[in-house]
Amino acid sequence: MTAVSLPRYAAARALQTLVSFFILISIAFFLFRAMPGDPTAFLLESPRIHPQTRELLKQRLGLDRPLYEQFFVYIANVLTGELGYSLYYGRPVTEIMFGRRMINTLVLVGSSTFAAIALGLLMALTSVRKYGSKLDSSLTTFSLVTYSIPTFWLGMIFIMLFSVNLRLFPVGGTITATRVHEGFLDLALDYLWHMVLPFTVLTLIQIGYNYLIVRNSMLSLIQEDFVYVARAKGLSEDAVIRRHVFRAAIPPFATIVGLQLAGVFTGAVMTETVFSWEGLGRLMYEAVSTRDYPLLQGFFILILAAFLVTNYLVDLLYAYLDPRVRLK
Amino acid sequence: MSSWGTLRLFLRNPYGRFGTLLLLGLVVVAGVGPILTPYGVWQYGVCKPFERPSISHPFGCDEIGRDLLTLFLSGARVSLFVGFVAAFLSTLLGALVGLFGGYFGGLLDAVIMRVVDALLAIPSLVLMIIFAAVLGPGLFNVIFVITVLSWPPVSRVVRSQVLSIKEYPHVEAARACGASSMRILFKHIAPATTPLVVANMILQISNAIIAEAALGFLGLGDPRIPSWGGILRFAFRMGAMSAGYWWYVVPPGLGIVLAVLSVTFISYALDEIVNPRLRKY
Repeated sequence: MTAVSLPRYAAARALQTLVSFFILISIAFFLFRAMPGDPTAFLLESPRIHPQTRELLKQRLGLDRPLYEQFFVYIANVLTGELGYSLYYGRPVTEIMFGRRMINTLVLVGSSTFAAIALGLLMALTSVRKYGSKLDSSLTTFSLVTYSIPTFWLGMIFIMLFSVNLRLFPVGGTITATRVHEGFLDLALDYLWHMVLPFTVLTLIQIGYNYLIVRNSMLSLIQEDFVYVARAKGLSEDAVIRRHVFRAAIPPFATIVGLQLAGVFTGAVMTETVFSWEGLGRLMYEAVSTRDYPLLQGFFILILAAFLVTNYLVDLLYAYLDPRVRLK
Repeated sequence: MSSWGTLRLFLRNPYGRFGTLLLLGLVVVAGVGPILTPYGVWQYGVCKPFERPSISHPFGCDEIGRDLLTLFLSGARVSLFVGFVAAFLSTLLGALVGLFGGYFGGLLDAVIMRVVDALLAIPSLVLMIIFAAVLGPGLFNVIFVITVLSWPPVSRVVRSQVLSIKEYPHVEAARACGASSMRILFKHIAPATTPLVVANMILQISNAIIAEAALGFLGLGDPRIPSWGGILRFAFRMGAMSAGYWWYVVPPGLGIVLAVLSVTFISYALDEIVNPRLRKY
């Protein structure tokens, strides 16, 4: 067994990622062109459109050319970031996606993911230190329960409880639209005040998974020889768990966090929809509701690119942290 | 360990016992409930719009005066049906792909595994939403979308187990006796993967129920027979939260939570039994 050097491993994984990208955008092509709900059908087959206009439109969109030619044009367009115009907004898809909405989503998803990781790790550590206690089993039950709650329903319950009944937080939105904000601090505070509930929901639904993964991996690690050695050295049980077991459980967890970012975006779609948070998730809900095919396709490609790149970076990080990954 | 021993351990586990009872209860509710209720799903005007829960309408009423208990019961049917069917089909598809890919190998296997890698890299629920939006709402489309996007993880684990089983002596012996590939595959390899396939199917059920709920909430389910997620969509669009109509919002959500929780508990208990490292240290 020989270890591949890091640059070679990086190159091999990059190639693999590119292959995945091509497979997935090909799937997208056939989904959006060849499916019964052809994105242009409703435009082209409308009786109100003059046949000549229809022909012109077909020519403009390149739909009169053979399928394989359309495929190559599509690939070229994707690679140059030419994703077409939104049917609903009438503006370029990239212009709608990259901007204020993306920032709003990154703030919400980023902060809640961070909080869920910190809390999940802390809970797992507590659980393993008090293994088999009442606290351990309540934390496990709590995690299994939060893991089973649909994101959107948790959001709805929170709105009913904290916004409507207790009037503590706004029902939705990113800022109070009717208010004139005095300076940046006022605006920021208003923004944060609107963020409390969606942030809490998105954090809660992620904690359970993090906790269960780390707890189980720590419980498996505890039987390894290095833990036996650490105990034999005379370290206290607490030090063994904190310094040896916990630390060894982190690198595999890092990979899972990377993979999990995928799921967080789904959570963002549901949370942003319920709380009217002006982000990409809410935009995707609107695209689904209005059947805005070019925008949906844009989302498909954006999500694809984002997750393949994250996965790639996480794999590299993991290969750097744990050289065994690079063994042939 | 014999299968009876496993079952005894499973039922002795509090998570396993609770999960099984809960799931059985829900299946009975979904099976019998819609028959017992005197109202139809689309029978409106049986009570006042948004009427509070009362003895004649224990779950209250929706915006057009439909009995919410009736909606809840038929919603249970749709949610569980989609969950079980989609989980079964995707597990079957994944297991078959894993069996054939792992056993025969070659170019086809390599291509399939690349597709699996690609599909595993991105969140399946987001893909499901996009696929379902393009295909249009409907019960069949929901099952189709969940099935088509859920099989890759199953095929991955089954395939890796097939790779090791096909090197076992009993498989070699069968091959020496002149057994055909199909006979070896389904008589000597497939049975050995059963525990793994069952464990995966249980996971698939909870994923399918969650996915169906999300698709229903986004308006991609069957508009004629709303699932639990579909009822919550109505509640959301009618502003039930702002108006404080908790009876419209709470029951369907609790239904989803209980269904997913029962399956999650079952798979957690199985994990503790099959993986003895988690039992005690």
